[in-house]
Amino acid sequence: MTVKGAALAAAAAGDFSDLPIHNPTIECASREQIRALQLEKLIEQVKWTYERVEWYRTRMDEAGVTPADIRTLEDVRKLPFTDKSVLRDTFPYGLFAVPLDEVVELHASSGTTGKPIVVGYNAHDMELWADCIMRLVQMAGVVPGDRAQMAFGYGMFTGGFGLHYGLQKLGCMMIPAGSGNTERHIQMIEDYGTTVLVATPSYALHMCEVGEQMGFNWEVSTLRVGLFGGEPCPPGLKAEIESRMHIVCTDNYGLTEVMGPGVSGECLAARDMQHIAEDHFLWEVVDPQTGEPVGEGEEGELVLTPLGKQAIPVLRYRTHDLTRVVTEPCACGRTTARMQKVRARSDDMLIIRGTNVFPSQVEDVLAGIEGVTPHYRIVVESVGGMDRMTVHAELKPEAFSDSFEEMEALRRSIEERLKGVLLVGVHVKLVEPGGIERTTGKAKHVEDLRK
Amino acid sequence: MSVQQISVFLESQPGHLSRVLDAFVAAKVSVRGYSASDTGDYGIVRFIVDDPERAMQVLQELGAAATTAEVLCVRLDDKPGELARVMGIMAGCGINVTYSYSLISTYIALSVKDLARAEELLAGEPVELMEQHDLVRPIAPEGR
Repeated sequence: MTVKGAALAAAAAGDFSDLPIHNPTIECASREQIRALQLEKLIEQVKWTYERVEWYRTRMDEAGVTPADIRTLEDVRKLPFTDKSVLRDTFPYGLFAVPLDEVVELHASSGTTGKPIVVGYNAHDMELWADCIMRLVQMAGVVPGDRAQMAFGYGMFTGGFGLHYGLQKLGCMMIPAGSGNTERHIQMIEDYGTTVLVATPSYALHMCEVGEQMGFNWEVSTLRVGLFGGEPCPPGLKAEIESRMHIVCTDNYGLTEVMGPGVSGECLAARDMQHIAEDHFLWEVVDPQTGEPVGEGEEGELVLTPLGKQAIPVLRYRTHDLTRVVTEPCACGRTTARMQKVRARSDDMLIIRGTNVFPSQVEDVLAGIEGVTPHYRIVVESVGGMDRMTVHAELKPEAFSDSFEEMEALRRSIEERLKGVLLVGVHVKLVEPGGIERTTGKAKHVEDLRK
Repeated sequence: MSVQQISVFLESQPGHLSRVLDAFVAAKVSVRGYSASDTGDYGIVRFIVDDPERAMQVLQELGAAATTAEVLCVRLDDKPGELARVMGIMAGCGINVTYSYSLISTYIALSVKDLARAEELLAGEPVELMEQHDLVRPIAPEGR
């Protein structure tokens, strides 16, 4: 791939000194300074929440905990967890801590069942959110003056406006194209000299393919950086997009319930890790079964408490995302804790004939196979009381051969590779090129028909 | 002397074959013979058309997985025993026919591993091999 721009080229060679750090006072502070700041903000946050949100006051009273009991960061464990169901049960405004006329924006996450999750932001929260975004986009080498084209849908989804406001505040020219109409997107990159693309990775790949078909030359295009979100981005997919579109891509982590995108962002020094905005979020990693903390650096479920967020101040939000967090300083110069990219959710896990299977494992295997694209779908059924898992894998046109023998050999080799990793037999179904739907939101990869 | 065959990867689902055929119609590609076989989940559909180049272009525009191969095309007389006669010649020459299907009228397509060798062997045999352009014109109602 061709890396565009001197700072990104230097970063690719291992020198990160030309990449901007948005807030070095925080992002390069010592562990002691960060923890002291977190404690100060946690105490305030608990007090703010207890005084203003009845749901938390009731739970804390039941548990016999008062804000005065929070004296160390470890004391956060005295507080109740918050699960997604709490936001659903209190829909729409039950967890709001400020009067509604102080709320300047609403967002919602599309619930697949029942009511959506609705969150609100006051002006202070919007500042905080923009601060998080400005940090993560600069980790990817975005600078004021960049021209950022939005390919997320705006709407209620936090991704669109979240990135929009942060990038604009940094001094970028926003091109609010929105989702869909791929040919027009590519035309806009050409016409407006777009340098930054904000998209889901699966849509970016689709855009790449359409551009290639149109004869668009990605290598000489102005596009330099891809900011991904909305769905997990497996390393194989990212590498493919980087080499075909000739851009540097990072993704970030966040969720509507605690704010939206911007909880943590990938830096170019350690592509598998994301720096947490620790002054804005207190993190814990717990055993998903017991809720007890796991050992330092061990994998568990991420639990987040936003610090300083006013309109909806959730405490100890159970993300169901599995990760591990390390606190060693990073080669990029930052000292904030880093979480490993979330590759699995505790609630995404499928149990197939007693074996735990994560969709991300399927993704990893497919990314390593020449003849198929990284797009896939998993269907789980119960056939005669036995679980049967079918992986739909999309054939690449160049991998097609006019021979059932060779096609079956390819199909069976994918089955073998999957079985080796998943430790459970699966059926692979080859589908036509483009046969798996490209999504601009969260890619729906799994269909579980056992019920 | 051979003709070009186009193979397409298709899922075994309603509408998938018809989508390809509709695109052929729109591009004025005339299908002169075809064979569709499947494994349950997917199939390979093989076409012999009047204009293979245009057909491949259509398939590429559809984003389909498609490939071309040369196959023998033999014209048979429409009389009992003719197919047995031709296959007998193949056997006599030691040519293995991997698959075969019939086209318009009494034309049959035969896939063989070594096409050049087969053509050589068949040159002196009483079989009438066809070329691509032989397949362009519609068959007259009364036949040949």
